[in-house]
Amino acid sequence: MSRAQPGRLGPLWTFFFRYGPPRWSEYVLRNLSGQRLVIAVPYIWLLVFFLVPFLIVLKISFAEFAPMGRPPYEPVFDWLEEGALQIKLLIHSYEYLFNEPLYVSSWIYSLKVAFFSTLLCLALGYPMAYAIARSQPSTRALLLLLVILPFWTSFLLRVYAWIGLLKTDGVINNVLMGMGLIEQPLAMMNTSFAVYIGIVYSYLPFMILPLYSNLEKHDLTLLEAAQDLGAGPIKSFLRVTLPLSLPGVVAGSLLVFIPAVGEYVIPSLLGRSDQLMIARLLADEFFLNRDWPKASAVAIAMLLLLVVPIMIFQHFQNRELQAQKK
Amino acid sequence: MQMAERRADKNKIKQEPWRDPNAEAYVRIDNVTKRFGDFVAVNNVSLKVYKGEIFCLLGGSGCGKSTLLRMLAGFETLSSGSIYLDGQDMAHVPPYERAVNMMFQSYALFPHMTVEKNIAFGLEQEKGLSRADIATRVTDILEIVKLSPYAARKPHQLSGGQRQRVALARALVKRPKLLLLDEPLGALDRKLREATQFELINIQEQLGVTFIVVTHDQEEAMTLASRVGVMNRGEIVQIGTPTEIYEFPMTKFVADFIGSVNMFEGRLVEDLPDRARIQSDELGGIIYVDHGISSAPGATVWAAVRPEKINILRQPPANTAENCVHGVVKEIAYMGDVSIYLVKIDTGKTIRVTLPNVERLSDDERILWDETVWLTWHGSSPVVVSQ
Repeated sequence: MSRAQPGRLGPLWTFFFRYGPPRWSEYVLRNLSGQRLVIAVPYIWLLVFFLVPFLIVLKISFAEFAPMGRPPYEPVFDWLEEGALQIKLLIHSYEYLFNEPLYVSSWIYSLKVAFFSTLLCLALGYPMAYAIARSQPSTRALLLLLVILPFWTSFLLRVYAWIGLLKTDGVINNVLMGMGLIEQPLAMMNTSFAVYIGIVYSYLPFMILPLYSNLEKHDLTLLEAAQDLGAGPIKSFLRVTLPLSLPGVVAGSLLVFIPAVGEYVIPSLLGRSDQLMIARLLADEFFLNRDWPKASAVAIAMLLLLVVPIMIFQHFQNRELQAQKK
Repeated sequence: MQMAERRADKNKIKQEPWRDPNAEAYVRIDNVTKRFGDFVAVNNVSLKVYKGEIFCLLGGSGCGKSTLLRMLAGFETLSSGSIYLDGQDMAHVPPYERAVNMMFQSYALFPHMTVEKNIAFGLEQEKGLSRADIATRVTDILEIVKLSPYAARKPHQLSGGQRQRVALARALVKRPKLLLLDEPLGALDRKLREATQFELINIQEQLGVTFIVVTHDQEEAMTLASRVGVMNRGEIVQIGTPTEIYEFPMTKFVADFIGSVNMFEGRLVEDLPDRARIQSDELGGIIYVDHGISSAPGATVWAAVRPEKINILRQPPANTAENCVHGVVKEIAYMGDVSIYLVKIDTGKTIRVTLPNVERLSDDERILWDETVWLTWHGSSPVVVSQ
C-alpha cells in the first residue's frame, strides 16, 4: 500500500496513523487517495457555499421578524443563563405565504408563466434543434454558434433591447405604423405577453442545446428501417425520433422551467405591475420590508416546490448516462 | 458445395428457372445506373431474380452492391434504368409503399421498443390488421426464429445473434415479396455464422420468400445462394450457381475473387475442339487442358488451377512434360482439416496447394519444409480465361 505516506505529513499524522484505532488508519489509507482529494475540492466548495447558506436561510425562515433589529429577526438558537439552549421555531412565515392572496396568486402566476414559456420554448426550439442536427456538418458549427452567440452579450442588455423593440414608440410599433398596418401603437410593454417574449427569447438556447445534443446522436438507419417497414416520414418521426428524443425534451424543459419560475429581471423590466412573479415578491420582502424571515420562507418554499421537477431531471439524466454506458 | 443442386430439387425453384428462357423474372433490374456526382456507383447493371431464389450479390468494398440493394429497397433513386418487382415498375414507389423489406447490416432495431413491439411495428403500419391478428403473427414468427422466450426484452438485453434474428423476424413478419439482406452474417462469430447460415436457408424454404443477399464474404455467398452475381466496380462480372462461379469462372477477377487460385499466364499453342495446350513461361512448361476453350490461337490466356486440385508427389510422375512442375516447399500452414503448402518453382512463382490431412503421418512420411516435390494436376482441372 503505497498510496498514503504518513511519514511525510508530519508527526501528528504519524501518531494518528500508528496509534489510532485500526479502522481509522484503514479508512485514511483507503480514502486519502489523490482521486478522492480531487473530488473533495468541489464537494467542500458546494458544502460551504451552498449547503451552509441554505441551512442559514432555513434557520432564518423559522425566526420571528424583528423590525428594529440588526439583523431584523429574533435569534432562533439562544443560549440562556442556565446553560440551556433555546430553539424557537415559528412557522407563521410559511403560513402567511400559503394564505396571503397576494402570494398565492403570485405562486400560480409564476408557475403558469414558467409552464407556458417552457411549452413555447419547446415548440420553437425542437424544430430548430432538429434542423441543426440534420444539417450538413459544415453548416452545423455555424448554426450552433448563432444559437450560443447571444450568451456573449449581457443578459440585462438583451432584455433592455426588448424594451426598445416593444415600447409604444419602439421599433416594432414604428415599423408597423409606418407600413400602415396599424393605426394606434400596440401596447406590448408591461404585459404578460412581453414577459413571455423575454423568457422564451432568453431561455431558448437552454432548450435547443440539450435537444440538439440528443438528436445529433440518433442513428439515422432507424428511420430508414421504419420507412422500410411501411411508416411514412411523419409516422417515422412520431414513433421513432420523438420517443428517442424524450430525454432531451425533459432536460431542455427543466432547464427552462426551473429557472423561469424564479425569474426576476424579465418581469421587473418587461412585466406587469399588478401581477408579480414570486421572485419579485421575495426581493420586495427582503429589501423593502426588511422582513428576512418571510423572504427566507419564500426562498425555501420555492426550492421545495422545484424539488420534484429537479428529481425528475436527475432521474432522466441518470437513465441517459446508463444508456450511454452500454 | 453441392447445396445449390440439392436444394434446387426439393425447393420451389423448380428446374432452375434461370435456364428457361420463357420463365418470368420476379425481380427485373434493367440497365440500372446510379451516379453520385461524377462517381458511377452502379454501371448499367441488368439482372433477373426468380421467385423463391436466394440470390447473392458478391463483391469487395465499393463495388456497388450496397447501392444496388438500396435502390431495390427504395432508399436511392435511379439515375437511369428501371426496376420491376412482380411486374410492377418501382420507379416512383417510396420505400414505405414497397412490398420489399430489408434486414440492415447493423440490424437497426428500435432501442426503445421490446422485441415484440419491434416486430409488430411493421404490421401496425398495414391497414386491416386487428390487434389479435398482429399478436398471432408476431407469436408465429417468434416461433420460427426461435425467440419466443425473449419477446419482452429490449434490444440492448440481447446478444448479437439474437438481435439478428429479431431483425430477420421483423422483416419477414410482413410477408414481403422480396427480402433484402445487407451482410447478414458479418457481425457473428464463426460457429454462430455457420449455424445461422443453415437456419436462414431453412427459414427461406419454409416461407418461400425471395432473398437478395449482399455480402463480401464468399463463403457466405457459396453457402446461402442458389445463384451468385459477382460485382466489380459497379458492374456485374458473372452470374451463376456457386458451382459454376467456382469451377467455371469467366474472368481472372472472378477466378481470383472466389477462393484461392494459381494463375498461369501463357500462350495458346494448341486449340482443338476437345483439348488445348498452353505454353506458360510462368510455369516453365505446358499446361494441358482436356476440354475445348474458345479463344484465338496464339492468344494470351490465363490458366487457373485451384489449390485443392493439385497433387504433391515426392517422385516425379510418369509424364513430366505437361501439367507438372517441381519446386521447393517454402511454407506449410496447418489448418487442422487441411494443410496449405506454398511451393516455390524454378521460375520464381509460388504455387499454393491444399491437401486434406487424411492420415496421421509420422515426421519422415509427412512433407516438410525445403523438400523438393513434384506438383501435378489432372487435365480437367485448369480453367482457362481470356480476360
